[in-house]
Amino acid sequence: MASRQERPQANDPGDVALPLLGQPVTRRGFLKGASAGAAALYLTQLGCSGGDDGIRRVVEQDQTFGDWTDVYREKWTWDKVTWGTHLIDCYPGSCLFRVYTKDGIVWREEQAGKYPEVEPGVPDMNPRGCQKGACFSDVMYGPERLRYPLRRVGERGGGKWERITWDEALTDVADGILDAIDEVGPESIIYETGPGNGGIVNGPLPGWRLSRLIGATVLDTNGLVGDFNVGLYETFGKFHFVSSVDDWFHSDLILTWHMNPVYTRIPSAHFIYEARYHGARVVNIAPDYNASSVHADLWVPVEPGTDAALALALCKIIIDEGWMNRDFVIEQTDLPLLVRLDTKHFLRAPDLPDADAGARDDQFYVWDEATGALAPAPRDTLRLKTTPALEGRFEVDLADGTRIEVVPAFVLLRERLQEYTPEYAASVTGTKPSVIRRLARMVGEAKRVHILQGFNINKYYHGDLMERAQALLLALTGNFGRKGTGMRGFNTGQVQIGTVVKDRAGMEGFIRLADRALDVEKELLKEDPTLTEEMRAIGVEQAEAERRVLLPYDSGPLTVPAAFYWYWHAGYKDVWNRSDWSDPSMKRPLGEYLDEAVAKGWWDGVALPPPDKPPRVLLEVAASTLRRTRGGYKVLREKLWPQLKLIVVVDLRMSSTALQADIVLPAAGFYEKTDFRFPTTHVNFLTFTEQAVKPVGEAKPEWELFSLLARKLQERAIARGMESVVDGEGREFPLNELWDRFSMRGALRERDVDALAEDIVRDTVRVGALPERTTLKTFRKEGIVRFTGIGQTAEGLNLATDIKPDETVSPLRWHVEKKLPYPTLTRRIQFYIDHDWFLEADEALPRHKPNPQMGGSHPLKMVSGHLRWSIHSTWVANRLMLQTHRGEPFLMMSPDDASSRGIADGEHVRAYNDVDEFFVKVKLGPAVRPGEVIIYHAWEPYQYKNWKPYDSAIPGMIKWLHLAGGYGHLKYWRNNWQPQQADRAIAIEVEKMAPEGDV
Amino acid sequence: MSERQLAFVFDLNKCLGCQTCTISCKTLWTDQPGMEYMWWNIVNTMPGRGTPRDRDEMGGGFDAEGRARAGVLPSAKDFGEAWDFNYEEVFYEGKGQSAYLHPRNPSADGKDEAPEWGPNWDEDQGAGEYPNSYYFYLPTICMHCTEPACLAACPRTAISKREEDGIVLIDEDRCDGYRFCMEACPYKRIYFNPDRFISQKCVMCFARLEEGVAPACVRQCPGRVRHFGYLDDEENDVFKLVKTWKVAIPLHPEFGTEPNVYYVPPLAPPRFDENGEIDEENPRIPMEYLRSLFGPAVDQALATLKLEMEKTRQGGKSELMDILIAYKWQNMFIPFVEDPGELSRPAPKS
Repeated sequence: MASRQERPQANDPGDVALPLLGQPVTRRGFLKGASAGAAALYLTQLGCSGGDDGIRRVVEQDQTFGDWTDVYREKWTWDKVTWGTHLIDCYPGSCLFRVYTKDGIVWREEQAGKYPEVEPGVPDMNPRGCQKGACFSDVMYGPERLRYPLRRVGERGGGKWERITWDEALTDVADGILDAIDEVGPESIIYETGPGNGGIVNGPLPGWRLSRLIGATVLDTNGLVGDFNVGLYETFGKFHFVSSVDDWFHSDLILTWHMNPVYTRIPSAHFIYEARYHGARVVNIAPDYNASSVHADLWVPVEPGTDAALALALCKIIIDEGWMNRDFVIEQTDLPLLVRLDTKHFLRAPDLPDADAGARDDQFYVWDEATGALAPAPRDTLRLKTTPALEGRFEVDLADGTRIEVVPAFVLLRERLQEYTPEYAASVTGTKPSVIRRLARMVGEAKRVHILQGFNINKYYHGDLMERAQALLLALTGNFGRKGTGMRGFNTGQVQIGTVVKDRAGMEGFIRLADRALDVEKELLKEDPTLTEEMRAIGVEQAEAERRVLLPYDSGPLTVPAAFYWYWHAGYKDVWNRSDWSDPSMKRPLGEYLDEAVAKGWWDGVALPPPDKPPRVLLEVAASTLRRTRGGYKVLREKLWPQLKLIVVVDLRMSSTALQADIVLPAAGFYEKTDFRFPTTHVNFLTFTEQAVKPVGEAKPEWELFSLLARKLQERAIARGMESVVDGEGREFPLNELWDRFSMRGALRERDVDALAEDIVRDTVRVGALPERTTLKTFRKEGIVRFTGIGQTAEGLNLATDIKPDETVSPLRWHVEKKLPYPTLTRRIQFYIDHDWFLEADEALPRHKPNPQMGGSHPLKMVSGHLRWSIHSTWVANRLMLQTHRGEPFLMMSPDDASSRGIADGEHVRAYNDVDEFFVKVKLGPAVRPGEVIIYHAWEPYQYKNWKPYDSAIPGMIKWLHLAGGYGHLKYWRNNWQPQQADRAIAIEVEKMAPEGDV
Repeated sequence: MSERQLAFVFDLNKCLGCQTCTISCKTLWTDQPGMEYMWWNIVNTMPGRGTPRDRDEMGGGFDAEGRARAGVLPSAKDFGEAWDFNYEEVFYEGKGQSAYLHPRNPSADGKDEAPEWGPNWDEDQGAGEYPNSYYFYLPTICMHCTEPACLAACPRTAISKREEDGIVLIDEDRCDGYRFCMEACPYKRIYFNPDRFISQKCVMCFARLEEGVAPACVRQCPGRVRHFGYLDDEENDVFKLVKTWKVAIPLHPEFGTEPNVYYVPPLAPPRFDENGEIDEENPRIPMEYLRSLFGPAVDQALATLKLEMEKTRQGGKSELMDILIAYKWQNMFIPFVEDPGELSRPAPKS
């Protein structure tokens, strides 16, 4: 500080006179305590309070410091500390918190910071958590929180309610369900689950169990929300493979491409930027200069929806430059498999002269360069006994005596890639060929490349093509099945949850379930002895979907894809048949493809409810179907709502669907019940939450709620003489013993939430996914327990890797290291899909297709993404979170597009297209790509003027190819193969609105 | 100047702008009446107007000669009021779709006045021209300055700097709400509590520090941005980043208060030239802009950072990179590594 002492003293002639007092003041003067001058200076500027008298008085006082600091010490106190986490659909979430309770009220929460070091040399996971988790207690007690059962008074959506007792509410619900069964049948009860209160003990599961026992239609959540990674599934026969987030640290090139981790992966993003410090390069590929571009080493701006063109250009460069990992391609992918040039189908066993009656349609061939002859591709392993050709054109004699030409699929791929020069990709994406070449070199030279593609990609109409092209890039360079490589899926399958498949609790129920699954596996093995454990587990799921094999008595479907319900019942038929909003290469209207798919039996068992069973009751648990169904706020209310006699919403908070419901039931919140956050392997721990306080108001944990409903249904059914009901297929559901079945013969009663949790832990230990001797007590002590295995569910097995105590989790290692085949039709990473529809669409190989003109001919493209301040709609109406942005929805726009329309920042605009219009404020930023507008997802419709959300302008199209079936892995099972709605790149126009008063 | 000084290093290349620090502070200290609009910790998008708006033009601090610079008193509107929301009206008053949830200014006295500013109003807007847009996140708290202008300006001598750790505190008993400190603070991180008629600001979680627990904003930062410790502890990462590597530098050193929050300045991806080609010559974030925030030291700090990053890219080792990676989270805030969840701190019964 020496230099400071040399500065002029007060009253030194060199000092500049201060304007108001004519007296110079220096800091030194201040510090001496001669502060009157300084005070007067500021006071004068302040022009208020105090006055000179006041100051003199003050300064003359002795300086004594009181014990005011004790107020702070006393504030930071508590009576009780419990574990907490947030039961919401955030990936990966699973953040362990401590919940601090004072005077019977949750005062605050703070990340526990208890994650142990897993792999030496890799940063730990602490502290995890985000701003939302750090203020859940504000939602818990906030004005949006539901506290009592409510019954609508007046019209739906009128905003008038009466508070009723639980008994009244349950009676209404039970009678409504019985009325629907009576009138139409059990299929007319639609159960929609949301992860908005998504525990694995409570949350969606108890209502789901009840639904199965009465034959209701349970919709598949993953398809409903659009989180199914179609492209990965088409390529790998699964998408539930995912690295733990700390595995990102091993990468030396991370492409955040359709993911905005700075917004959506707040607790995990540090691994990306720590990997960067560790030597990785980080590339962000996105239309806008988003929050994740900020921390990138290269940002590649692209036109929305052109990513397949970019990825394929990268693939072309990789091959042309000789950077391809040939061994990986030959061993792991279908690219060496031979394709007939006459039909464009793979060459299959029945095609060949020596085929007998048992020749398998899924036996494929390679050309063995060693022998110069055909060789069957092994089905039971990826290990090669031959030297397959990747190039060349070969002649083959067929069973019918003809001679045809075949080529490895790789030859067709190279032909396709001819088109994808960097110059062509540049013309499509709008980014320069030199940038594409630079990026290709980065990929080619990197040793471990990870693509972080978020859930954004699935929401593009042709998102599957983009994702297949990304997968191709990584497969060509051998970037799967090793640390620091791969792509993003999710996996919640390590836990063994029996709630919707067990008929008995405990060990007995576990063994009975396992026996039933084993029976199915035996059937499957008889047909094909080469099935791996993973394929058998998928087979059990598919058998369950098709013919309901897991419960020992008749049951409703485990889940069904929503597409048929949407099309037949919910009002999407007209929209989806709009050819001008679909892919122009479709030869027929969507409805014809749908009819064909159903007629061919591709969706047997799950195309529900059938057209003659209209929905009558909608029962949803923290789903908010009106908000999340694309275009749903308009279409569902116009077409579905009038058909529904009863709409019941179970939720923590007032959602937009709750506002349009008949009965609203309050569920216990995240710190009010025993539960676990549904785990995903990103964070390879099971995370516990426990009751810090009794449920707020009269809220109930879902297990208790649905247990009471089961009792009430049974009671009312008996009273109404409805001892049992039968569905359209003749399945029988006895209602007079409903509660007995629901409670697993009385083993799990209303208040037995802990026992149910214990059951889940025990079963998960039994399948080796948690350490031996782990019990609920372990969780009460530790809060988290690290998974030790992948379990035995199909989804868990999709990880195909060992969980090691001291390593990050890298999926697919069994395929790459142990040469276990993939669960695709070809048993390989499959880039060539010779399904007739895919051939018709010219999508047998990945390609670029332009976004359909969804919404009509309008100049702007509306895109979206997840908010930073909410997890879907949880927190979206929380006052603290609203205060950290603009407090209401906004549309982000480029200043150029705004000024050409005469729009300024913060103004109200009307956004419209051929579907509908909505009103919103704009926020301008040069980060937005001209031609695109961004509106983040999950604002509540009730946050928009007239409750018209942005997705009023989204038609909610599906891609017809996703109705395909009858082809190996293109077959439905829970969370997997199914259509979902596109909502990105919607054509739209925006215009300035007259000021409020002038309207 | 105190005997010892606790200091922070905020690594802007890890900051996510998520406001978890902001919320951690809010739920801990500023949830009381009169404090609703206070955000002792805030993260702003820069370039941007900051919180309070246009704070960099509000004066305060000292000039190069050590003389007080005139300062402006920020108003509640400058900080952003704590908005009201019409939940009841939307949910329960039978108005149906005619009422929608939106923020209102409480100062408008019941009138439905839309806010025009808030603490994070210009989030992600930034500057530049597409595709050369640029922005980054800048978290600020009370800087616990070595030469605090607030302390100098207080006529009540209610502001003190603790000898043992350099924390600057406003004695809430002595404070009479004159708000000179708010004018004098060049970082504008002091708020006025109208209910109690006192000024309030970050207290560096002294109550936690006494128990060996790191400040909430430090311990709760999910981006692992915040290093914290004694500035004279040569083993500490704060010392190494500030003194040894000199990659952590103060914000607006020209304000003359010697702040004790240091920033690792932001990198950015390359910009594009007028043909859309990558421009290796000129940085995306103009250096003049960064110098206007961090002074001339920013050049060397960024150069060091880039040099060390290149080392690990070539497969080499770098002590600096290891520090910034923060392999072990708790090492970021030595010696304040106690787990608050393990403490017993019963609430006094009223």
